Amino acid sequence: MYDFISANLPYLLAGISVGGQYAMIAIGYTMVYGILRLINFAHGDVFTAAAYAMVYMNATMPLYLSLPLTILFTVILGYSVERIAYKPLRSAPRMSIMISSIGASYLLQNLMWYITSGLARQYPTIPWISKTVTIFTATTKMVTLVTPVLTLVLVLLLVQLINHTKIGMAMRAVSKDFETSRLMGIKINKVISVTFMIGSFLAAIGSMLYFTNYTAVVPTAGAMPGLKAFVAAVFGGIGSIPGAVIGAFIIGIVENIIKAVGLTTFSDAFTFALLIFILIFKPTGLFGEVIHEKV
Amino acid sequence: MKVFKIILSLLLAIIACLLIFFSINALDLSALLKEIVPLETMQQDAGLEKAVKRINDCLADGNQNRALRSLNRLLDDYPDKVHLDVQTKLDLFFYRNNKVMLTLGVYVLFFSAALAVSAFLKQQKHQTAVLVAILVASLYAGIYIVEDLVGVNSMLMTVLKKGAIYALLAVSMNLLNGFTGLFSLGQAGFMLVGAYTYAIFTIENTSRAQVYQYYQGGLVQFTLPTLVAILLAGLAAAFFAFLIGLPVLRLKSDYLAIATLGFAEIIRAVLQYDGLGRITNGSNLLRKFTTFNTALFPFAVSGICIALIALLIHSTYGRSFKAIRDDEVAAEAMGINLFVYKQLAFVISSFFAGIGGALLAMYQTTVQAAAFTSAMTYEILLIVVIGGMGSISGSILASFLFIASSEWWLRFLDNVTYIGTFKVPFFRSGFRMVVFSVIIMVVVLFYRKGIMGDKEFGLKSLMEPRKGGKRRG
Repeated sequence: MYDFISANLPYLLAGISVGGQYAMIAIGYTMVYGILRLINFAHGDVFTAAAYAMVYMNATMPLYLSLPLTILFTVILGYSVERIAYKPLRSAPRMSIMISSIGASYLLQNLMWYITSGLARQYPTIPWISKTVTIFTATTKMVTLVTPVLTLVLVLLLVQLINHTKIGMAMRAVSKDFETSRLMGIKINKVISVTFMIGSFLAAIGSMLYFTNYTAVVPTAGAMPGLKAFVAAVFGGIGSIPGAVIGAFIIGIVENIIKAVGLTTFSDAFTFALLIFILIFKPTGLFGEVIHEKV
Repeated sequence: MKVFKIILSLLLAIIACLLIFFSINALDLSALLKEIVPLETMQQDAGLEKAVKRINDCLADGNQNRALRSLNRLLDDYPDKVHLDVQTKLDLFFYRNNKVMLTLGVYVLFFSAALAVSAFLKQQKHQTAVLVAILVASLYAGIYIVEDLVGVNSMLMTVLKKGAIYALLAVSMNLLNGFTGLFSLGQAGFMLVGAYTYAIFTIENTSRAQVYQYYQGGLVQFTLPTLVAILLAGLAAAFFAFLIGLPVLRLKSDYLAIATLGFAEIIRAVLQYDGLGRITNGSNLLRKFTTFNTALFPFAVSGICIALIALLIHSTYGRSFKAIRDDEVAAEAMGINLFVYKQLAFVISSFFAGIGGALLAMYQTTVQAAAFTSAMTYEILLIVVIGGMGSISGSILASFLFIASSEWWLRFLDNVTYIGTFKVPFFRSGFRMVVFSVIIMVVVLFYRKGIMGDKEFGLKSLMEPRKGGKRRG
């Protein structure tokens, strides 16, 4: 028993940690999907851009400045992506907006490649959270313990925001019915912008936690975690924040269990197999609302 | 009018035959040389004899350009000793401009054939068919000659080869996304299946031990003929599509997109799996399989495939696909079995994606599963969007434009450039792709219909332009 725990605890801890990081990204997906019915393919690249912002800002300024500035930069980036790539297509068919998001992702990736000349950049060590700690027998970084706590705190705050503030109410209204809420005098564009900003804010924090575990950043580093976070959002029921968080934790943990078993090649494939499984048997996900389609 | 056309066509045919005859006949320079410099004159002048010998040596080496240069010098040096009459002058002219004259001859022949067709065939339908055939034939003749002129490995031919392959990939994706309205992002996965199937079955037996060095020489120990392997590549991709389509095609738009994307990722992971190493070579690359070295091959294969897709789209099946795209509920009410037709479109599109993948493998000469990422699918999707969703000719046009600009025309953006002492800002490695993706974004945002919209660029629109000036809009 002791052997079993000591052999598998590191994977379990890593799974919880990665799950929390996926959750941060997944919330951005699920909120945007809830309001615009759009898979924001560029979200994973915003996540990578946050990592690069941290790399460059940390090179020139102290940590207490670079941390908030990175978050600010990411929020502005998320906002501009929405303004430039999605706002002009508000009345276009959904397929066009999705294509635009793919185009935006392509642009961001190429831009990052250009700025970094395609070289991998070393991610700075953020002092406290990259400290090594030992839990029972497993040696891990502090970030592993911080992530789930931070995720839960942020999600609780977010839920408070959505349930008890005016803008939160507007968000709920818009995700229920786009047209009617517009008729009721809700400023749609403002609500959408705020949604993107919240999503990017969480992605920035997620990226700081995620890349602490890795040494280097490459322009495509965010694509896979981005897709997995989207799967988590679908798994939990797209549009539902608690669903996205639970989905992300499940995916993170199972993925690491698969790695523990020794099938690392399939850890990515598993996520998508799970996605297809859930789409076939429960398309609304764990907590999603059933939407009836009318002719 | 008819008589006039026939006479003109006959006349052109004669001219064409003469041109072709002369340019083929003029190929023998040493024979021509004997006429230009008669034996007696040559024996009187040692210098002349040496010059003639030099030309013949060059010809024996197969170095035509140098022979031609020596000949020019000879004509300049001994203007009074050479024997030039109309016949030899003409022959010399044809020798010098051999390929251009041959091309001209072939095209005049095609043109005269087209004239004859329009004179003899009464029905519009027949006329169009024959004209298309002639046009296609002249296209291939053009490629053949251009390839001969500029060399197989020149940038132009690279762009044409890759462009032809991407055209097939884009058209096959357009069949699904543009004509049937199924937003699928699984293209890279099916290409990968095609590429691997092709590569595995055409690696030469003698090289297998070397390619599969980590997997005891591999499991497959026979080679298939190229065309059979290409067909098999398509069939393998179609088979996977059939299996994947069963569950996935019941999903709605964006769920379908993400599920197909997921399947592409799964295929990629499975093919890299160590346990299948004896077949797929694990995560190592496959190489030493049969490739092509002329642009005619990809042009021929993707030309045939695109023609088949075009025929399909113009059939009753194609009309059903479009009906599903325009309104699923209405299509179902009209008696179209949604699932069967969606499955059909999915399988056929994947079949051609598989063939495209096989061609891509041949073009690259090596193939590795890790390269077939979702970014590849996005690229092809963007080509389809630029060309216009629901336009075959748009996809073809956009493919060539896309490849030409990314591989060739925008290359200069990647080089650090100075104008005088002024260093042009931003120009360095990677800038090309930034500019390129900005252009794509502009198309996606402001020209949502792409180059062609859902119109086709065809003979009809060329032959009888609509009255009133504006053709599109």
